[in-house]
Amino acid sequence: MEFLLENILNLVGFLVGLAIGIMSFVGFRNTGSPTLFRLTIAFFSISIGFFVIWSGYMLEDYVIKSGSIDRGIQTLGIVIQTVGYFFIAFSHSIKAFFPKSNYFRSIGILPFFLVSTVQLEHIFRSISFILLVYGAIETILSYRDNKNKGAVSVALGLGLLAFGEFLGWYSFVFPESILYSISMTIKIAGLVALFIPVSKVPLKRIKFDDDLDKI
Amino acid sequence: MAEYRTQMKIIGDILSTTRDDLQDEDGATVTYLIRKANISHSRISTILKTLVSQGLLEQADTQGSNRYKISQSGREFLQAYHSFSKFADNFGLNI
Repeated sequence: MEFLLENILNLVGFLVGLAIGIMSFVGFRNTGSPTLFRLTIAFFSISIGFFVIWSGYMLEDYVIKSGSIDRGIQTLGIVIQTVGYFFIAFSHSIKAFFPKSNYFRSIGILPFFLVSTVQLEHIFRSISFILLVYGAIETILSYRDNKNKGAVSVALGLGLLAFGEFLGWYSFVFPESILYSISMTIKIAGLVALFIPVSKVPLKRIKFDDDLDKI
Repeated sequence: MAEYRTQMKIIGDILSTTRDDLQDEDGATVTYLIRKANISHSRISTILKTLVSQGLLEQADTQGSNRYKISQSGREFLQAYHSFSKFADNFGLNI
């Protein structure tokens, strides 16, 4: 059951990320907007991250057949997804994400070399959770200004992804319980909520124009 | 408090004015665009130069003053701008 849900989640994540990434890229090519460029990087990263994990599961299912996915592949996929979530949050102008002190900047990366891939996975899941919550709050706050119902759906999507991430992490406390399956179902619902408003944007008759991206 | 406008939003406002809100068929003067788009003279001069060089605006010298009209490329750009503004709005962002 978990294996099937993982496959559905990662495939849906790959497709939703790819679709929104392509829309953002077309927008960037047509308008030259830096915001759309950041969204392009964000959603292509999210898409690639889900694809890497999905490939890991496929590889395990049809080739390796060891009973569990390689932790390295899983961690790599999560790291790439975290980069995507960072760019969504970054689009909302994170100003104080990195420490200002050069000392803290230089030693800040050290813990990543001192822990195993399993611990790394937890660290990046935690970072993803924080970035997703930040993105969800900023998006719902924007609803006050533009009254755009799509923003509510995107905020709900990011919120559900964050909640799913939290439950996924919490399920390590109660292994073999239904928590992990619930977390994946919530994440799938989050991805669908993320895609609904984007799919309604009218993008007909828009074509690439090489001269326009110099603005 | 005044609303912060990105460079893209200012360009959108200028192009929208030259498309929907012209004084006459000859096009809009710089003074008219400054008033409508609410922007300083030095800033609009740079933007207008860029928009003309990119082919989004057409410049004509009528009655001793420069006038600006939107081109076909400008109309297409404006359409894309409005569509992708809605797209970015969904994420709570301005393009």
